[in-house]
Amino acid sequence: MLRIILSRRTVGSSLLLASLMFLTLPAIALALPEAPTDAAAMAELEAALAADASAAVEDVPPVADSSLMPKMALIFDGTAAWFSDRDNLQAGGHDPYRTGFNLQQLELHLESNVDPYLHMQANIVWGKDGVELEEAFAQSTALPWNLQVRAGKFLTPFGRLNPTHPHAWSFVDAPFALTKMLGPDGSRGLGTEVAWLAPLPWFLEVRAAASHPDAETGRSFAGEDGKTVGTLYDLLWTGNLRQFFALTDDWSLYVGVSEQQGTGPNREADTTQLYGADVYLRWRPVDDADRLAVSLQAEGLYRRRSWSGQQLNDWAGYAQVVADLNPHWQVAVRDEQGSGVQDDPLDPLWTGHRQRYTAQVTWFPSHFARIRLQGSADIPSWRDQPIFAGMLALETVIGAHGAHAY
Amino acid sequence: MKKLLLPVLLLLPLPVHALTVVATLPSLAAIAKQVGGAQVQVESLTSPHQDPHYADAKPSLIVSLNRADVLVVNGLDLEVGWLPPLLLQSRNARIQKGAAGYVDASQAVRLLGVPKGPIDRAMGDVHPGGNPHFLLDPRSGARVALLVAKSFAKADPPNAATYQQNASALAASLDALAATTTAQFAQIPAERRRIVVYHDSLTYLVDWLGVKQVATLEPRPGIAPSPQHVAEVLQVIKSQNVKVIAQEEFYPKNTGKTLAGLAHGALAVLPGGADFPTETYAVHIKNVAQALRAGL
Repeated sequence: MLRIILSRRTVGSSLLLASLMFLTLPAIALALPEAPTDAAAMAELEAALAADASAAVEDVPPVADSSLMPKMALIFDGTAAWFSDRDNLQAGGHDPYRTGFNLQQLELHLESNVDPYLHMQANIVWGKDGVELEEAFAQSTALPWNLQVRAGKFLTPFGRLNPTHPHAWSFVDAPFALTKMLGPDGSRGLGTEVAWLAPLPWFLEVRAAASHPDAETGRSFAGEDGKTVGTLYDLLWTGNLRQFFALTDDWSLYVGVSEQQGTGPNREADTTQLYGADVYLRWRPVDDADRLAVSLQAEGLYRRRSWSGQQLNDWAGYAQVVADLNPHWQVAVRDEQGSGVQDDPLDPLWTGHRQRYTAQVTWFPSHFARIRLQGSADIPSWRDQPIFAGMLALETVIGAHGAHAY
Repeated sequence: MKKLLLPVLLLLPLPVHALTVVATLPSLAAIAKQVGGAQVQVESLTSPHQDPHYADAKPSLIVSLNRADVLVVNGLDLEVGWLPPLLLQSRNARIQKGAAGYVDASQAVRLLGVPKGPIDRAMGDVHPGGNPHFLLDPRSGARVALLVAKSFAKADPPNAATYQQNASALAASLDALAATTTAQFAQIPAERRRIVVYHDSLTYLVDWLGVKQVATLEPRPGIAPSPQHVAEVLQVIKSQNVKVIAQEEFYPKNTGKTLAGLAHGALAVLPGGADFPTETYAVHIKNVAQALRAGL
């Protein structure tokens, strides 16, 4: 009975999201210049366009203007790491996972306007398992009604950290809350997204995305072996609502709630819902010459799975405080906690509570490089000993250094 | 339903301004306000007391950009660290690059510090298009006012003549201010018109006032002073008898204060930008020149 209610709810909100997607189609048409109604004028315009088109072909210069190259950046992340236990629990695709040297990633970032209506971005990553297309999407810039549409492969808008790349992280590794529930590479996939900015005096944005769940990038839905998509309901549906409050010139508060839902690996019988809440409180005295800033960030996730006749409910989250002392030094601490369930098909050994404490200190020789020393104590209740880790990570950036999202 | 609508409509503010304008810097906002007068509502995205290279990309700024008819930017990559993602998410076609409402102030001015050869990050944070701090010269401000008026005239044709008149009057007064201030500085003996700066951000100011910048505390743009480099700068200060270390308020002051003490001179802390909306651009420029002259 419960399953029937749940699946009905899934159908209802999925239909709502699907209709939102279709609503944007006329918007795209509206964004383009209005078509003249007069047939004679139309014929004249067509003749003029044809003449221009043939002239344009002859006028094309043999070499493209180099300033039209996309903005390009290459970001390297590598780490020397030590673990007290060879069998550690590092699960993130970019996490250092072994004692010795680890390649976290070499990321190629490209972006540019496509035309007056679209912007395009791609992130290609060389990691420990080879080359992967992490993100590649086009984004609208000129839709009416405060809408913005994305299409392609992208990190889903679930929570605060998931849509970001390691360059924007405050720790060497990803929180286990995200690697456990969203997947080792975060929640991402091929799909489309609509984002609406509410016409209010403060920032309130609503996002709705539909994407294709794969084993690596949607493990709470596709399982470890993946699944096939038969209907719209098998897609991964993500909803996100964010609000930003500029409390004073120096204090800001950014909060969000997220939801993800879809079917499980056995798509006829299984359903999964993920709920998330995130908060980001930042203090940055706007006139401080040392660019001092202190921020508190916390995210919590709650997961409900009805899989193979079992009801599996668990939660995980993290809280971190990051202090930028000046342009060269940063310190941060993080506390992570999460629960486990018996007979979890995704993490069969993870049967109880897990907690991990992490601290880091970072030195930035310049705006384009950082050296980060990090230590952590991981305390899984199902293991006899805590797992200690020490890491020394180097990041270097060449090319265009894009702005960070807030 | 109609009964409900009426009080709601009465509560809505009436559109008293013809144009909504957003400027990235307070000095640009001050210029835009003087050009637009009562017809425009102007907002600055940053404070005069903060380094415009390193503003936070706060989502509240997306809301401001979403409503703007005209966006005035400094350009030359000064805002590259925070503006592009905000502009992309603004969902406002009127102010995207290439649209009539996108005004790049750097397009109007005579540029200094344009790299002559190939550039490289090992040279520091060099701006490939030229030094972006041109608003410290009122002659640049005058050219920007004329460019802003052109954009306002396109966006709001009924008031075009007013915008052009305001801009011409402002440009003329700024050019006059530039000439009188240059004459005042010319009375100071040349050997005293020498300064050391923190960042290469006073290039246009020293060019305008006939002051010589003999050294920079940052060894390369954006790279913090090293002890060895500061020692070298101190030698230059002593050998050339420099009395003033000058910097804007948003750069670290400890090194400058120490050096000024060692040289028996003064640290001239210049206001970062016009204190918009209470201060005009011309008053801000006068204050900058005054702060510099006081130490010479």
